[in-house]
Amino acid sequence: MGAGWLQSVSEWLNFAAERLPELWLLTGQHLILTGVSTGLAIAIGLPLGILASTRHWLRASVLAGVGIIQTVPSLAMLAILLALVDKIGAVPAIIALTIYALLPIVRNTVTGIEGVPPEVVEAARGIGMTRLQQLRMVQLPLAMPVIIAGIRTAAVVGVGITTLSAFIGAGGLGQFINRGLALSNMQLILLGAIPAALLAVLVDVVIAAAAWGMVPVRQREKHSVKAKLKPITLAMPLLLVALGIYAAFGSRLVAANHPGKTIRIGSKNFTEQLVLGDLMAQMIEAHTDLAVDRRFNLGGTMICHEALAAGEIDLYAEYTGTGLVTVLKRPVESDANRVFDMVRTEYKEHFDLEWLEPFGFKNTYALTVRKSVARDKGWQTISDLATSADTLRAGFTAEFSERADGYPALRRAYGFGFADVRDLEPSLMYQAVEKGEVDVISAFTTDGRITAYDLQPLADNRRFLPPYFAAPVIRSKFLRDHPEVRAVLARLVGALDDNTMQTLNYEVDEKGRLPDDVARDFLREQGLLNRN
Amino acid sequence: MIVLDGVSKSFDGGQSYAVRELSLHVNDGETLVLLGSSGCGKSTTLKMINRLIEPTNGTIHVDERDVTRQDPVMLRRTIGYVFQGIGLFPHYRVIQNIEIVPRLVGWSANKRKQRVREVMELVGLPPDEFSDRFPDELSGGQQQRIGVARALAADPKYLLMDEPFGALDAITRDSLQQELKSLSKRLRKTTVFVTHDIFEALTLADRIAVMHDGRLQQVDTPQKVLTDPATPFVRELFEKPARQLAAFQGAD
Repeated sequence: MGAGWLQSVSEWLNFAAERLPELWLLTGQHLILTGVSTGLAIAIGLPLGILASTRHWLRASVLAGVGIIQTVPSLAMLAILLALVDKIGAVPAIIALTIYALLPIVRNTVTGIEGVPPEVVEAARGIGMTRLQQLRMVQLPLAMPVIIAGIRTAAVVGVGITTLSAFIGAGGLGQFINRGLALSNMQLILLGAIPAALLAVLVDVVIAAAAWGMVPVRQREKHSVKAKLKPITLAMPLLLVALGIYAAFGSRLVAANHPGKTIRIGSKNFTEQLVLGDLMAQMIEAHTDLAVDRRFNLGGTMICHEALAAGEIDLYAEYTGTGLVTVLKRPVESDANRVFDMVRTEYKEHFDLEWLEPFGFKNTYALTVRKSVARDKGWQTISDLATSADTLRAGFTAEFSERADGYPALRRAYGFGFADVRDLEPSLMYQAVEKGEVDVISAFTTDGRITAYDLQPLADNRRFLPPYFAAPVIRSKFLRDHPEVRAVLARLVGALDDNTMQTLNYEVDEKGRLPDDVARDFLREQGLLNRN
Repeated sequence: MIVLDGVSKSFDGGQSYAVRELSLHVNDGETLVLLGSSGCGKSTTLKMINRLIEPTNGTIHVDERDVTRQDPVMLRRTIGYVFQGIGLFPHYRVIQNIEIVPRLVGWSANKRKQRVREVMELVGLPPDEFSDRFPDELSGGQQQRIGVARALAADPKYLLMDEPFGALDAITRDSLQQELKSLSKRLRKTTVFVTHDIFEALTLADRIAVMHDGRLQQVDTPQKVLTDPATPFVRELFEKPARQLAAFQGAD
């Protein structure tokens, strides 16, 4: 057992070593996101705290205000900001992080100023300082240790919350965690989590050191080592910021030197999307002059769609049914070809987006149970569940639970619902049904784990789930500027049927391989990477 | 000259008075001691002179100018103030503490530096040894000397001292009292000194103003106050310590 543990560690270290350049880049982004947001929070929170401590009527409302903001769950905050600023990436992430960092800074500024002994403030007044001089020369310097403690809390907590900003495409170490969660890949999760934890400790130590460096040298310490160390510790936060900038932009400069233009490809947060993203990315890299900026793992449908519509990304793979129901909010339509025609026309009209030719495989939701259970109970169709539905526990993706053609449509079509419905993250959903923690899940028909986990999709005997094609959706303007992309992606058409897609997903989900490797091997095998 | 004319102060809108109908003048160059037990209104009276507290009624003139017609900040810079307790800025070195008022009124760095040395010599602390220390690197007596040095730094005509030696041990207090006495003989600052210590009052005062319950009982030279008390309260005040001293000597 001890040896096995050691082996996992050494495997992980190898895994991490292979990804060192990316780790370096994401660490830099992480530091910058945290640094910029903490800096903004200081710029806003310090004056706000000073104002609140001097204006009695403001004090209660300011403290209550920043306190309430703090109770908004971080993911909800990111989602709200995403909607408000209508952009993915660093901007909404920095706004959200700044808002979170406000509370400790404002609160500690108020506490610090109020904690200055009243006799010292009276002395300042009594010798003839103006209100502003009292604040600047006496109250703020004496409150500084408490204020810095607040900044320290804000920055350390900020390092943690910054991991969430990968969810909206802002980068940072959360990107490893996100990708790891989507792929159930523990090595990837740890590659984000461990450096993030170390970074939090580092930020904590650095700010503590700087605070120590700010305490002036006492007479008796004048010639000690301490006195010489202080200026160095004072400069440590600056060094950390410089390191972050170098890590984040040093490598960005190399990318900027790449000749030609860049295509930004997005993806949602599950295996098939990552594989499709990489298939498209590698084809474009092999056959055009475009550089590819991979903005994968952008969460659910609406985030990807809005990013594409806003021009934050140029291309991602979407499913026709999802486009129809979730994006266009149209009623469910069972004719797959009609669905494709509808989304193609309406996307062009409403969003100036182009649906390219579908890859060829169909993907739809399928209510899925364990094969052994299906055999025992004689379940073959969804209707067969009717009699025992009120004892069954369902685990659905959040999207299936909510969307009009998902669970609500199922209840209407079959006239029953399940005893308990839980929203699960896609990769956890399959594990949950395999372990018997839930009885029914909303699987994707192309998911490799259906065979891997010995699951049984049930037939949709009332045909409420329309079949969906997957196809690349691209910005019309980008396609006009780079028409060659259409032909390159068209070469994938026909190469991906239902079985192939399921196999590729299986390679990732069950064999633990990474989507980019799986995509590369497949394209090589098919000869699709060769120029012709 | 400082002139208080019919000055009253109420902190609760007229229900009770901390200072009532107080009229008093402090002559140029004299040290007037406000003497009374705690809560008698002596500190309130002192703080009304430099407008740390505003009077409810009456007028106060410093140098024949009504203080309420002056900018309080400017007024305070022209009046040296030594605070009860410590009152030094803990984050400033000795030199920064002393030069603060000259800095506020815009003296040049050279002039400030020279003045700091002067006043430090004056209060008996060698500048070379003490100017770079922080208040927490000084004894209580040294801290209060710096307090006096700070009040003197901008060379004000007036000094207000609010029980400056109250927190010191008896021996340190005694030596500081003696030094202050010789210092004020030399400098002839117009000084108002607040204390509840009868011996301190007798030691330092040119004249003593005895206060009780917000009212002025008597203003006179120490000699007169002792020999010719104006009210039963004043007689009682000075008889008690004399009795105690006598009883103590008798028991010996």
